[in-house]
Amino acid sequence: MVRRSRKKLGPRARAVIDTMLPSGAAHRMLPGAFEAGFDDFYDEFARTAVAPMRLAFGTALFAAIWVAPILIRRLPPLTRHSRADRERALGALATSGSPLLRQLATVLKGVICLGYGADPAVRRAIGYR
Amino acid sequence: MSWSDEFDFVIVGSGAAGASAARVLADTGASLAILEEGPAVTSDEFGDRAFPAFRRLYRDMGAQVARGRTVIPILQGSCLGGSTVINSGISWRMPEEVWADWRDTFGLGAALPLAELHRHWDRIEDELGVSPTPEAVWGRNNRLMDDARRARGLAGGPMRRSVVGCLGTARCQLGCASGSKQSMLVTYLPYARERGAVIRPGARVDRILWSGDRAVGVQGRGFTVTARRAVIVAASAIQTPTLLARSGVRSRHLGLHLQGHPGTPLIGVFDDEVNMWSGATQGYEIDAYRQAGRFKVETVSLPPETFLATLPGVGGSWVAAMAQASRAASWAVALRAYAHGEVREGRFGRTIRFDPETRDIENLRRALRITAELLFLAGAREVITGVHGLPERITSADQARLFEDGPLDPAAYLFSMSHLFGTARMSVRPAEGVVGPDFGVHGVRGLYVVDSSVFPTNLGVNPQLTIMAIAMHAAERIAAAA
Repeated sequence: MVRRSRKKLGPRARAVIDTMLPSGAAHRMLPGAFEAGFDDFYDEFARTAVAPMRLAFGTALFAAIWVAPILIRRLPPLTRHSRADRERALGALATSGSPLLRQLATVLKGVICLGYGADPAVRRAIGYR
Repeated sequence: MSWSDEFDFVIVGSGAAGASAARVLADTGASLAILEEGPAVTSDEFGDRAFPAFRRLYRDMGAQVARGRTVIPILQGSCLGGSTVINSGISWRMPEEVWADWRDTFGLGAALPLAELHRHWDRIEDELGVSPTPEAVWGRNNRLMDDARRARGLAGGPMRRSVVGCLGTARCQLGCASGSKQSMLVTYLPYARERGAVIRPGARVDRILWSGDRAVGVQGRGFTVTARRAVIVAASAIQTPTLLARSGVRSRHLGLHLQGHPGTPLIGVFDDEVNMWSGATQGYEIDAYRQAGRFKVETVSLPPETFLATLPGVGGSWVAAMAQASRAASWAVALRAYAHGEVREGRFGRTIRFDPETRDIENLRRALRITAELLFLAGAREVITGVHGLPERITSADQARLFEDGPLDPAAYLFSMSHLFGTARMSVRPAEGVVGPDFGVHGVRGLYVVDSSVFPTNLGVNPQLTIMAIAMHAAERIAAAA
C-alpha cells in the first residue's frame, strides 16, 4: 500500500491563516480557522485544486507574508510582528490602492472560506441549516 | 481506450442549448450523440459543501476569470447538463424590445420568428414546470425584497423558475440534491437518451473533422465521432469560439463581441434573523429598472463558503462580520452591460477579456444606490457596500447616495458573470458575423452553432429559456435542411 504524504502549510503560511481567522475565541460564537479543520481542508485543496487556483493561493500567501508588512511600514516577513500588527498589515492588503493586492487578499479569503464555511460548527453559528 | 462511432448528428455540449437541440432531434428518429467534456453526475451525488461541488460541477473549479482592468470570475457548469445544473432555474422569455432590436439592427427577424420562439417557450415552460417561486419557499431573504418592492410600488415579483417541488434549501448552485430543479440533467437529456441518443460525458472535443468544406465529425482525446448529417456546436459562448478557431474556422468576429450580465452583490444587515439559507436561492426580483436603467435586482443566497468570503475585514473584524451572517440579506444587481469583451485561444490556453465600460459603471452605481435604499426600506440596520473607496458600511438610506459618487474604476467593485453571449454571432452577411440565419457557420457546410454564442446582444434577463427556445428552433431547421 502506498502511503500518501499529507500536504501541510509552512509556519509562515499558518501564521497568515491564523491572523485572518484567529483561534482562541476572537468571537465566542465562531472557531478559528485551524479549530475549524483548516489543516484537513488544505490537504484536500493542495491535492485536488486546479493549478491556477493553487498558484493564486500561493501568490496570495506570498503577498501576505512579504508585501503586507511593507504597507504598514514594517519589515517583512509578517511573522516578525505582533498579532495586532499582522492584522493591521493584512487589513492594509485587503484595502490597498492596488487592485492586484486587493484581488490577492480576496483570493486568500476565498480559499480560507472554502474550508471554513463548510465546517459544521461555523455553519451552526451563522444559522446555516 | 479509444473509441469511434457514427451518427446522423453529433452535438457538442449538454447544457441548455445542446440538450434542447437533442430534445428536438431525438423526436425525428435520427441517430444522435451528445458529447460533454465534464463528468456525468447524478442528483444523489450533490452535497452541501462548495469545494467538492466546484471541483466536480464547475469549469476550472469556479476559478475561470475574465481579465481586464479587473478580474471577473466567469461561472460556468462543466458537467452533464452544463450550467443548468448550477444555476437557479430562472426562466425569462426574451424581452420583446430585445427581439425587435435583433430584427431591426441585425436583420434577424426572419431567422428567429417571434411566434416560433413563443411556441417553443410554451412547450418548455410546460415540460419544465416553469412557475413563480411559491411563497412557501420564499424564506425571509426573498420576503424582504417583496416588502421593499411593495413599499416603493416597483415592478417585480417572485421569480419564474423551472423548479417543481422546491424544498427551499438554497443550494441551487451546488446542484439540486432533491432533483426539484428541472435542469437538463433530469429532463431533456434523459428524454433524448430514452429515444436512442448516446450521451458521452468526459468527452472533450478538440477539433472538428472536415472533408473539403464540409464538417464530417469531431475528434477528441481517444475518440472520433463521425456525423453523417451535421455537427452541432453548443459548447457555450466561451468554448464554442475556441473550438471553432482550433478547427480552422476563420472569421474576424470569432471570439469577439463577448457580452454578459456582470453581477455585484450587496449585503444588508438586519436587527433580527434573516436566515438566507432557508428559502429559494433566487426567488424574487425587481425588474422596474430593466429597460431604462439596464439592471435587475435579484435575491441570491450564496453558499456559506462564498458568502463569508465577501464579508469585509480581517481577523477580529472579519469574524465579527461573520457573526452577523444569520441576520444578513444578500441581494445582487445584474447589469445589462454595454461592454464587449473577447475570447481567444493562445499558446498558453484560453484567455477571456472583459472590461465594463464607464457607462456600465455609471449604471452600476445607480443600481447599487437604489438597491441599498431598498434594503434600508426593508428594515436593514446597515448595508455593507463592498466598494473600494466607499465606507465599508453605511447606516441610512441617505448615505446610499454615496454610491452615485463611487469610483468609475471597475476594479473598485466585486463582479462575477455567468450569462455570456455573442462570440460567434449570427449575421445575415458573412462579413458581419460567424453564423448565418440558418445557424450554419458562414462559408462551410454541415457545421452549426446553436448556443448563446450566436446571440448578437445580451438580453438583460436570465437567458436559459431563450437559449433553449433558440436551440430548439435551430434544431428544427437543421433537421429539415441537413
